[in-house]
Amino acid sequence: MKSRFELPATAEIVRLEQVEKRYGQGDLAVMAVQDINLIIRQGEYCAIMGPSGSGKSTTMHIIGCLDRPCSGRYYLAREAVEQLDDDDLAYIRNRKIGFVFQQFHLLSQLSALENVMLPMAYAGIPRQQRQELAEAALSRVGLEHRMSNRPNQLSGGQQQRVAIARAIVNQPILLLADEPTGALDSRTSQEVMDIFQSLNDAGMTIVMVTHDAAVAQLCQRIIWFQDGKIMDPHLTSAKLEQYSSVKAEMVA
Amino acid sequence: MGVDLVENVSMAVRTLSANKLRSCLTMLGIIIGNASVIAMIGVGQGTQKFVNQQFEALGTNVLFVLPGIQQGGSQLGAAQANTLVLADAEAIAREAPAVAGVTPEKTELLRVNWADQDTQVSVTGTTPSYTSVRNAPVGRGRFFNQLEVQSNHRIAVLGSETASMLFGNRDPLGEKIRIRNLSFQVIGVMAEKGSSMGTNQDEVIFVPITVMANQLSGRDGSLTSPTVQSISVSAHSPETISAAQYQVTNLLRLRHNIKKGDNDFTVRSQQDLLRTANTVTGMLVVLLAATSGISLLVGGIGIMNIMLVSVTERTHEIGLRKAIGATRTDLLVQFTTEAVILSLVGGACGILIAVAGTLLVTVLTPLEAAVSPAAIILAVGVSGAIGLGFGVVPARSAARLEPIVALRS
Repeated sequence: MKSRFELPATAEIVRLEQVEKRYGQGDLAVMAVQDINLIIRQGEYCAIMGPSGSGKSTTMHIIGCLDRPCSGRYYLAREAVEQLDDDDLAYIRNRKIGFVFQQFHLLSQLSALENVMLPMAYAGIPRQQRQELAEAALSRVGLEHRMSNRPNQLSGGQQQRVAIARAIVNQPILLLADEPTGALDSRTSQEVMDIFQSLNDAGMTIVMVTHDAAVAQLCQRIIWFQDGKIMDPHLTSAKLEQYSSVKAEMVA
Repeated sequence: MGVDLVENVSMAVRTLSANKLRSCLTMLGIIIGNASVIAMIGVGQGTQKFVNQQFEALGTNVLFVLPGIQQGGSQLGAAQANTLVLADAEAIAREAPAVAGVTPEKTELLRVNWADQDTQVSVTGTTPSYTSVRNAPVGRGRFFNQLEVQSNHRIAVLGSETASMLFGNRDPLGEKIRIRNLSFQVIGVMAEKGSSMGTNQDEVIFVPITVMANQLSGRDGSLTSPTVQSISVSAHSPETISAAQYQVTNLLRLRHNIKKGDNDFTVRSQQDLLRTANTVTGMLVVLLAATSGISLLVGGIGIMNIMLVSVTERTHEIGLRKAIGATRTDLLVQFTTEAVILSLVGGACGILIAVAGTLLVTVLTPLEAAVSPAAIILAVGVSGAIGLGFGVVPARSAARLEPIVALRS
């Protein structure tokens, strides 16, 4: 897979500058994130961590072009994104970014194969080719024997693997995952993390939001969020344990 | 770029068949609305056509002269008034040049016997010109002639139903029946005519008007000439019908000594009667159209509700599709395709049901109900527009949301 990414290994995939997101208007406005400055390079495998309400997901949605920042700049592969119109953003979500959700979000009326084919339909790829590529993507996540099953005939782990196949089928430059193991037990979590690891080994840039320190430990880099700001863009494992224990105390 | 048509249609069919209940409920609204509008308008128009045919069956170019003043379509005062006499009919035949034929009628419900049969039949005294003026051909035997009328022959011509009622399968020709205990020889049977204006034209007996006036009906005493209930007048052609009407009116005013003021009789053309009846059937059509319009509206509200609910339900799906790269146009095309398919399939089912319904009406009743293209266009247009509008407009606003907002819902 590595050969598909033309960018040099150190190229910036994501660059956020002074990004800010508010919800609501005027006095009632709630600041979700502010003063976010972040660079993620080609091939990085990052976990975004932090307490609930610290702005992890909001930042993730902005990176995934699922939401727009209120102010600040966002460059995806050096292209300014925040001023693009709706159709350009649809193109970016379709071709440049793959997104994996905690709740999988598969369409229940479609089979696993058809779910994976869907992003290619919006890309205008011919049907024959779509099917071949979707089959390849499902084999990549180890579901070649489950292609014609509907989502409700699959386990949670299998559904999440279908969702990953769907996210990578258009060969994005960036794979985003919002709590990808949040709805899974520890064994299936491990299966899903193995897939992420092998994708990253093949050169895929991956960013995921997680609550789970064990999951975050599998990533190369941990970005720590607190109170809508980035507290530490390069958290060490030792510090993670410290933060996590503080958090655990707070919860207790 | 974008999704091709085949992909779109197959996707829409998948989605619709995956949500069978929702799709069926939506289509039900369309089907009921369409079927009721199309069938109701068909039945209404069939009724109007039926009434027109009934009036044509009365005879073409015909004027009806009735005693008393007729108000609108009603027979107000007709029964009591006895201002028309047989001599009036003779005078019209003699003196009005635009008139082709004249036939007076005097009808009473009388007791009729044959063998052990005993029944009440409407007996009409008339003249030989009845067959031509009223467009009523004889089936078997013959009608009586002028000579028999003048010489008070007790002979009778039976309506087809009266013949079978009295004689069953036997041949009535030459048999003697008793009307009000007087003996009449049967000389003919009328051809079948069917019912018109609620009276069965086959359940009658015709006798010479002289016999009716002098022997069957009680005489009116004060008048020298016997009274009649109506005089039917035929004109030479539809063009001369107003001339005939004018001549008959003037002649009767002269004969009745009316110099000023209202006539004591009414001359009414078939067109007048048709117009009166058409106002009635027109009201019927309006009533049916209003009824079916309401069902179309109710159906439309049904479509609207289910469409609105389904779009709200599917905002999540819209968000997901946006998240994986669908543009607003893609989503709009998708929802439009679904709405169009629902409207087309529902519309087609509605039309089929309407056609079946009107066929059933045509078979079971004398009405010739027909499916009119205008009704189809109206019904399919309205339900299609509602389906499209309420399927697509909310989907469009959902497609405007940021993907994450739509996904959270």
